[in-house]
Amino acid sequence: MAIPFEFAYEKPATIADALHLLDKWGSNARILAGGTDLANELKQGFRVPELLVDIKGLNALEKIKVLDDALHIGALATFDMVRNSQPVRDHVYILYEVAGLVASSGVRNRATVVGNICSAVACMDSAAPLLVHDAVVHTASLEGEREVPVQDWFVDNRKTLVGEKEMVSHVSIPLPKIKYAGAYQKMMRYTGEDLAAANVGVLLMEDGACRVAFGSVGPIPRRSPEIESFLEKNGVNARNIEQAKEMIGGIISPITDVRATREYRMHMTKVMFVRAMHAAVERLEKQKR
Amino acid sequence: MEELKYVGHSAVRVDGKEKVTGAAVYTDDLEFGPDLLYAEIVEGPHAHAMIRAIDTSEAMKVPGVICVVTGQDFPYNFGLYMKDRFIFAQDRVRFFGEQIAAVVARTPQAAKKAARLVQVNYSPLPKVVCPLEALREGADLIHPDLKHYEHVPWFFPKPGTNVAHHRKVRKGDVEQGFAKADYILEDTYEVPRYAHCAIEYHAAVAKYDHSGRLTVWASSQSPHTQRNLFANALAPLGIKHNDVRVIAPHVGGGFGSKAGVTMEIIAAAIATRVKGHPVKVLWNREREFYNTYQRLGVVAKLKLGVKSDGRITALHHSLFWDAGAYVEYGANVVNAVGLSAIGPYRVDNASIDSYCIYTNLPPGGPYRGFGYSEFLFGLESHMERIAKHLGIDPVDMRRRNAIRAGDLTAYGAKMNPNGLHQAIDAVAKEIRWHETPSPSGPDMAIGKGFSLFWKAPAMPPNTSSSCFLKFNEDASINLLVSGMDLGQGFLTVMAQIAAEILSVPVSKIRTENPDTDRNPYEWQTVASHVTWGCGNAVKRAALDAREQIFSLVARAHDLPKDLLYLEDEVVKCKERPGFALPLKDFVIYGIQMEDGTFKGGPIMGRGMFMPEYASTKADPETSQGGHPNVHYTVGAAAVIIEIDRQTGRVRVKKVVEAVDCGKAINPKLVEGQITGGILQGISTVLYEEMKFDHRGKMLNPNFTDYKIPTALDIPDEVIPLIIEVPEPDGPYGARGMGEHTMLPVAPMIANAIEDALGIRMKSMPITAEKICLALTGSKKQPEK
Amino acid sequence: MKKISFTLNGELRQVDVAPNEILLEVLRYKMGVKSPKCGCDTGDCGACTVILNGKAVRSCLIFAIEINGQEILTLEGLSKDGLTPLQKALMDRNAFQCGYCAPGMILSVTCLISGNPHPSEEEIKESIAGNLCRCTGYQPVIDAIRQITKKQ
Repeated sequence: MAIPFEFAYEKPATIADALHLLDKWGSNARILAGGTDLANELKQGFRVPELLVDIKGLNALEKIKVLDDALHIGALATFDMVRNSQPVRDHVYILYEVAGLVASSGVRNRATVVGNICSAVACMDSAAPLLVHDAVVHTASLEGEREVPVQDWFVDNRKTLVGEKEMVSHVSIPLPKIKYAGAYQKMMRYTGEDLAAANVGVLLMEDGACRVAFGSVGPIPRRSPEIESFLEKNGVNARNIEQAKEMIGGIISPITDVRATREYRMHMTKVMFVRAMHAAVERLEKQKR
Repeated sequence: MEELKYVGHSAVRVDGKEKVTGAAVYTDDLEFGPDLLYAEIVEGPHAHAMIRAIDTSEAMKVPGVICVVTGQDFPYNFGLYMKDRFIFAQDRVRFFGEQIAAVVARTPQAAKKAARLVQVNYSPLPKVVCPLEALREGADLIHPDLKHYEHVPWFFPKPGTNVAHHRKVRKGDVEQGFAKADYILEDTYEVPRYAHCAIEYHAAVAKYDHSGRLTVWASSQSPHTQRNLFANALAPLGIKHNDVRVIAPHVGGGFGSKAGVTMEIIAAAIATRVKGHPVKVLWNREREFYNTYQRLGVVAKLKLGVKSDGRITALHHSLFWDAGAYVEYGANVVNAVGLSAIGPYRVDNASIDSYCIYTNLPPGGPYRGFGYSEFLFGLESHMERIAKHLGIDPVDMRRRNAIRAGDLTAYGAKMNPNGLHQAIDAVAKEIRWHETPSPSGPDMAIGKGFSLFWKAPAMPPNTSSSCFLKFNEDASINLLVSGMDLGQGFLTVMAQIAAEILSVPVSKIRTENPDTDRNPYEWQTVASHVTWGCGNAVKRAALDAREQIFSLVARAHDLPKDLLYLEDEVVKCKERPGFALPLKDFVIYGIQMEDGTFKGGPIMGRGMFMPEYASTKADPETSQGGHPNVHYTVGAAAVIIEIDRQTGRVRVKKVVEAVDCGKAINPKLVEGQITGGILQGISTVLYEEMKFDHRGKMLNPNFTDYKIPTALDIPDEVIPLIIEVPEPDGPYGARGMGEHTMLPVAPMIANAIEDALGIRMKSMPITAEKICLALTGSKKQPEK
Repeated sequence: MKKISFTLNGELRQVDVAPNEILLEVLRYKMGVKSPKCGCDTGDCGACTVILNGKAVRSCLIFAIEINGQEILTLEGLSKDGLTPLQKALMDRNAFQCGYCAPGMILSVTCLISGNPHPSEEEIKESIAGNLCRCTGYQPVIDAIRQITKKQ
């Protein structure tokens, strides 16, 4: 149980203080928000930081709000907050859906969306909804602020574009002016808490735009421009969804591991894609009515 | 029969309040003060290797480290039925993760840090992880010293091979039985290893004081057996049985994993090296998986011959058990199945070969069901397949063959009275066997499955239980027994039995988990035998106390003893309506006579029970002649499942299970065993899957990837049915039923899957992935 | 080592902790509060559940130093003034067996029903889905929760 190495701990009161700490300690510092990934990583020795920067004193980071036609999810917004946020439910339903499928309520009360995309474990749940919504990751450092499209954010398993001296302040999800609907499907070994062996997020828009993201079937989650342009060009209907499904085999290359075989991941990704598409179509129809 | 006031009623658990308030104390909750030391284990990173050298010098340099102990410090072997196990590996490592040494330190951090610095030099050996490979001529021997190991007389090891025991049963004329058959089905079934997954880790704290007293606090199913094994193993240090005291607090789940002795002996042994200090050994979740017991894996080859009406003419069952690196306990699983692998059927011609095979995997041992889940998977799959082949209803097929009282078991003894036929009828009715429910959508397939089950306690013939019962001043009672409440409700049931005899309400009876110094002998809390065995001891102790009460009252009040009776804590007399003597007036202080003197004194009952008819003495070539099993508990179950054809996901819609417990002393607790056992069974067939890499290292020793069900994964409906055909020598007719409830689950789900999809799964688990790949893969080979 | 102070079961307590100490360890081994249990140490089993500022959380995934100034409730605190209706229903129905998961389970449900006194069956299951129990099959626990949360 014990963590067999020592480190320091700071809980800055302002973002500026936090950034100064990051500037000083660089890659030896690790940001602590919900800590549900971090505590395990330290126990298992995956990471050996010298300083934890607890950002829970930075109240400004907590908010979930709609601002300038975008939904902002602050770095301290937990999955529980997301799950219970009316703006999320109204505007980014797929994220509401995801928040109900992450681990269990005891973890969701602590774990954050931003933490999820910073840990960037391949099986993370948050990536797919953010990818299909073209979300933007906002970072801050003493050098200034940066906006990174979430498409570019993930570099490798457990690796992102965040700089050594940077922290993520929030993600913003642009809200289209036209009607849209998304859906998320997660491959789990049973209904209870499980890590995604694969996941699929889709988003359809009134104007025919279509976005598809696959997660946990490679080191990083990714959008599929191939399927998106096929469906945008030919239209979203049952027949084309079936055709698009057949393209998946050439797009993703899942592996066999302790959670599932390559074959089953591939098969399930196809099944989930079809189911997510149909759910999104239905939801969009409802929106239009 | 007179009406029962406490037995047969769902009394609130005697430990209920402790458990809902957090007051219940488990081993790691105990406080030992600032002198407590912590031990951390050094594990072997090979499945099979010779230990060349161990260098502890760097570890000793870590501040706070007291000592490092290795196998050389304790060259003693131990074991429950066969002494093939060691406190620490001696010259050879036999499974990945085996304990090589331990570091004892002032803090867990220091111990952990130092444990990493112990240098061990190994020469790896070829490993054997498949039982069938281990049987091959020339296979590497895992225990070259097999011939030197002491074992119980009913084991038959084969020195010079990896076979630690071969249970052989021959009954009737099998050849002729098959010759008479109209149809013979022969096939192989595989059931892999499983983990118990009690939520509480194994924990043991031991202290060897300067007077030579060894006290061990342990999360245990087996306090007296642990005392016995500690005393025997550590005898060379001059430790005797009365020097050893085992104290067992609450146990956070056992399921067999905390039976016998595993890691507890490490604490006991280390304590002798750090005299005067308590030392704690606390397991972690990973070790719970790979270094306690695992359920044994088995490859079962089954051949069954039947007449065209479905009646069984002959059975041949060969079971090749992957028993792991040490089989001191697991070999008795193999033995028990050998004696019982005809299942709950009348089989006149049977041959059974059950082989206990050493492999370089973690030690196999007791797990709820003790091998019966494993062989029933094949047998009950076979019954269904044969019925379908013959065009007989699978339930009728079972009715035609189901064993009855007086039929001969595989070893030739008479089957006990039982309600198997009632159970079959009750389940078929409740599940509406002849109706076909419709699926909920176009992708969905629905199926029904049925299964019978039986199981006998597997234990030495001289297994015994005992009880002390003492009254307090207010006529409340302390009931001292040494069975363990593992959650099944044992203590509550014991209190109910004493309450019934002595008319004292359950709420006034205090009964707690034992301390071997204070509480009388009990073998172990395993085999679903304690309600029956210890229940008999409690009943006898209560009767003994009652006899003392009546004798005293008769003597003091000059009343005929046989006219006295107890009612609501008062002694009454059948012929003197006005006579009423409250127990509290005399059970400690005695009864004052006219001359001012007192008669009597503290009332203390004692009772013990041993099944004096049991015997393992039999012909080793046939197993005929003895009476190894005291009785079987039987039952039936059925399930309705719905399967998503696209994903392979199974939803369990309804489960009905009937178990004949003889007498439900506490019906709510019986139902609790059914609900819990069914989910544990479902989990083994649908979710749990142990994975090992090429080195024999378990890849998923955690709940992240070894999935046990959550509240979202339970059946939509579970209907428990209680059948009560009394056991002649059971307390109020009761017999055990705790393990049994999970036995029918895997085969009935496999049967339901075939019913739904036409695919016969012959190896467990049957995960969504396996179903899905079977459906999408080659349609030509659904048979495997 | 840093001295932290926090409210534990209604009482302001102080304790010295190092940054690498986990809340579960500190509660159990430094504060003498034993109802939170360790069953996995990775956040999967929920036996270590405590209520932190009104929310059920995993104390095995929290650094003790984080809770400076916060408020923690464990089963010891909940039981101070006798049994809650939830505890009583669970006891009366013999819902638990070994009892090891009980503290975490009870706190998870307490957290649910404090904000949602009449949860649906799915909400009940969801609230305890992170509390693993190997004994009961969950149904008796769910039945007890339903008994005290159904609309009269």
